[in-house]
Amino acid sequence: MLQFVARRLIQAAVVVALALSAVFALQFLAGDPVKLFLPTDTTPKQIEEFRERLGLNDPWLVQYARFMRGALRGDFGRSLRQNEPALGLVLERFPATLSLSGVAMLVALAVAIPVGVLSAARRNSWFDHLGIGATVVGQAVPGFWLGLMLIYVFAVWLRWLPTSGRGTWLHYVMPSITLAAFVAARFARLTRSMMLDVLGQDYIRTARAKGLAPRRVLYRHAFKNASLPIVTLLALQLGQLLGGAVITETIFAWPGVGRLLVQALLNRDFPVVLVGVFLTAVLYSLLNLTADLAYAWLNPRIRYE
Amino acid sequence: MRVLTAVATVALLAALAGSSTAPYLAAQERPLVIALGAEPRSLLAQHIVDWTTNVQQLNIYDRLYYWDGMPPRIRPSLAAELPQTPDDLTWIIKLRPNVRFSNGDPFTAEAVKSTIEWLLDPRNQSHYRPRFSFVESVEATDPLTVRIKTREPAPILRYYLVDFAVHNPGYIRQVGNDAANRNPVGAGPYKFVRWDRDERLVLEANPTYWNRPPAVRRVEFRFIPDFSARLAALLAGEADIVKDVPPVAVDQVNRSGHAEVRSVASSRINYLALVNFRPGPLQDRRVRQAMNYAVNVDEIIASLFKGRATRIPGALSSINEDVNPNLKPYPYNPERAVQLIREAGFDPARLEFTIDSPSGRYPLDKEAAEAIAAYLGRIGIRARVQVNEWGTHLDKIINRRTGEMFYLGWGPALEAQGTIAELFRPERTYSGFGTPALSQEINKAIPIVDRQKRRAAWYRIQVMLYTEAPWVFLWQQHDLYGVNKRVTWAPHPAEKIFVHDAAWVR
Amino acid sequence: MSQAAVPPYAATLVEAPRPRRRLPLSRSGAAGLTLVALVVTVAVLAPLITPYGPAETDLARSLRPPSRAHPMGTDQLGRDLLTRIVYGARVSLAIGLVTVGVSGAIGLVVGLIAGYLGGAADAVLMRVVDVWLAFPFILLALTVNAILGIGLQNIILTLIITGWVVYARLVRGEVLALRALEYVEAARALGAREGRIIARHLLPNLWTPVIILSSLQVAQFIVAEAAISFLGFGVQPPMASWGNMLNEGKTYIYNAWWMTTFPGVALVLTALGVNLVGDWLRDTLDPRLTT
Repeated sequence: MLQFVARRLIQAAVVVALALSAVFALQFLAGDPVKLFLPTDTTPKQIEEFRERLGLNDPWLVQYARFMRGALRGDFGRSLRQNEPALGLVLERFPATLSLSGVAMLVALAVAIPVGVLSAARRNSWFDHLGIGATVVGQAVPGFWLGLMLIYVFAVWLRWLPTSGRGTWLHYVMPSITLAAFVAARFARLTRSMMLDVLGQDYIRTARAKGLAPRRVLYRHAFKNASLPIVTLLALQLGQLLGGAVITETIFAWPGVGRLLVQALLNRDFPVVLVGVFLTAVLYSLLNLTADLAYAWLNPRIRYE
Repeated sequence: MRVLTAVATVALLAALAGSSTAPYLAAQERPLVIALGAEPRSLLAQHIVDWTTNVQQLNIYDRLYYWDGMPPRIRPSLAAELPQTPDDLTWIIKLRPNVRFSNGDPFTAEAVKSTIEWLLDPRNQSHYRPRFSFVESVEATDPLTVRIKTREPAPILRYYLVDFAVHNPGYIRQVGNDAANRNPVGAGPYKFVRWDRDERLVLEANPTYWNRPPAVRRVEFRFIPDFSARLAALLAGEADIVKDVPPVAVDQVNRSGHAEVRSVASSRINYLALVNFRPGPLQDRRVRQAMNYAVNVDEIIASLFKGRATRIPGALSSINEDVNPNLKPYPYNPERAVQLIREAGFDPARLEFTIDSPSGRYPLDKEAAEAIAAYLGRIGIRARVQVNEWGTHLDKIINRRTGEMFYLGWGPALEAQGTIAELFRPERTYSGFGTPALSQEINKAIPIVDRQKRRAAWYRIQVMLYTEAPWVFLWQQHDLYGVNKRVTWAPHPAEKIFVHDAAWVR
Repeated sequence: MSQAAVPPYAATLVEAPRPRRRLPLSRSGAAGLTLVALVVTVAVLAPLITPYGPAETDLARSLRPPSRAHPMGTDQLGRDLLTRIVYGARVSLAIGLVTVGVSGAIGLVVGLIAGYLGGAADAVLMRVVDVWLAFPFILLALTVNAILGIGLQNIILTLIITGWVVYARLVRGEVLALRALEYVEAARALGAREGRIIARHLLPNLWTPVIILSSLQVAQFIVAEAAISFLGFGVQPPMASWGNMLNEGKTYIYNAWWMTTFPGVALVLTALGVNLVGDWLRDTLDPRLTT
């Protein structure tokens, strides 16, 4: 078990290093950042001075070595655009992102799992069609459209909820629904097909034959066994939400990581982008590892050597 | 069943929310909320050139001079009077007495000297350094007098001192740049309370402010990147001032009952550059003029902008100090356009142009570019719009990789040099245009100190530009602010939001 | 609805190489096929459906609400929205089909190699997949577009670059399972050549999961185009795509509802149709599949 964890951690380190190297290479293709953030009246000579000061005139190998050495010590350099340590800028936004992703994921699961389980239990009933249909629509509705409509109805028209920003738990309602709408569909469908699979198995028939309450069979026996892939998807989706909830964060002015990273990318502020990639890659790897360990916990037959 | 529970919970949450967010209670106590698209890039004075950054900073720092009234005039704020120039190379700035920074330190000539030296120090990476590169020395001749010596005559300095924010040098020296950025101390009407990154900047009235105490006690800048969401915040009563209401939404804001649109013709211009850096039809002046005849600018303003833009005949906005009032816009005359193109030896049907345009940077920029392309299409020219993400757009312009035409805005600019010299000098690429004769004229105008002669020189250059037709001259933007009716505040062409000017209606 | 009512397009969608059984058509499956057929028909017949051109601007009739002349209204440049939606169907279908085709092929090859060869090849390829998945999709998309510029080709390229991983993972998993099956083991033991094993024993069994996954991916990709457009990386004007129309309409969302509603409905219906087809395929062909 320990050996397994150790091996996975080494793999994770390799993945993170590769991801960082890839982005580091990409920045050389994306245009000179210096000219973009300096005002227009900067003379070519002064632009050169800026480049020199930032070390952008060094050969790329030197820059790469310097970057990796710094990264190992947790020093990712300063933001080109805001001239502050890049790591701090990103870390400051993590709590907002984590809390929103967490709430959204809970909302999504709270809706998707019952829908998935019941759809499977009453296959081809009206509930099945409606439930799955609704989640499909939820996934097909573009996030920004849903977000803006929610804002219009609940904040502008009814004045029940704040339009955007963070502060109270009320601020979570609309952004987490917007995020959850997209995620819920995948979970509902996955749950449904896993349940369909499990419900056809012999032990469920046995349990039913023994006269156990249908609810108990459904949740205790069937769902528990169907939940493994859901855990995997959970890790995967959470990983995507952490850096990728850009649209929701933009619409609802949520001070999250995704919004920062996209802005940084659009402004060619690569130190910030690199920190973001570093942190999301680390988190993704940890989430995956957690999912694998949860597997073993949920299904004692799985043993990692 | 669970679904129903969830739906019920959400509905309940929403209902509960209704009771706790009544936005109009106690309007006097709540902060004035200004919704902006982004957070400041820095809270250090004279550090970064960026509208969003500066508009927030000036409330913390105040400024030496500012643009006031219509037509705009320069007036002293932290300075006591307009600068004196005993000779072409010397500037004397008298400062207002008895001014204190919000931490109690006195505001003196030493602070101004120190701020200029700070921005000139390359280690601080200030964007303002290029602008002040002609400064030879700064001295505090007495506690309230600053003397600046320049290497060459630099009449433009007069304008660079407008909106010039001043550091508290003792404080910066003590805590360092990073800490001062996170907790700035200035001499402005408001002092810093809190900066929640990407969320809000909170300020409160500075009790040591030199002028009358601010009528609005608390100010909150909220950062809402999507403008539909900003508009929603205004309509929902959560924001009191919002910039860039789209022209089509004006009626909706005015109908909302509690907010209204207040607009001003900004000093920011939009233009379509006709690039003459590369060989091609656009190197012929007649073809460039033809482009001006071919585009029905007035109709674009009327339909697309609902009249919320003011046409400009040349490179300067109508409220620019140096604008030549004798220029008249090119009329819409497609026949004349075709004729000019043929005179130049080209066939309109064989011309193909690419128009590079940003999307969402300026009001209706992409739409305007598409409309322009459609007008060119009417005289047979095949014009293709290439939309770029903003970083790419700038990169293309800087490195001269745009198509034959590109769309750009410029400002705020209330005098000529900041537009014409910045755009048309040879090493600059933002105008997409340059000729040796034009550069020569511009270089002659820059050091002229005498106001009358200086203005005459800029007038001549504007006539040159008009006939050279380096751009399809378009319009100056109208800044449309959505404002809570219970707030007295009027927008100004200089695009600043100095909250000291605002008050709650009682 | 009887099977006879299913349009001919359905055939191409359900045609697995060796259908082992007839496909009983469920009600939702039929609805999905009808929707998909409708979108395909509209895309093919676009010029016959509307008298206007998709790029035909006329500022004098901008932002008109739906009327007899313009059943879905006009946009800010006076272009007919119905026309643009009809032509936009072509773009959406192109995005869906091309991306799924190419990313599916890449993923299939990678997954086959990783799953079949195992060992070092598997380890390396799966690390690459991990690196890919460690990037939030949006960041990857923006990076590609920031470097290559804006346009339909680059959107498709982005989606291919991000899309193949899902296939690779799925195919690898399936191959691992198949390889352990007795008849494959037997073939190997009997000394069948690798190529023959892949072609005869693995590929035929991979089509079903790949086709099912594809039907779901098509919908994902069509919706992803809207997300990319929202961030300012849509197709180039004057091309009409639903994502770009939605994004342009966003400016007018509270003033000209038709500009976002109709493209939004088109998008949702198409995604719904494709998803229903995918669900139906999965339920009938392979209820066990879990993508």
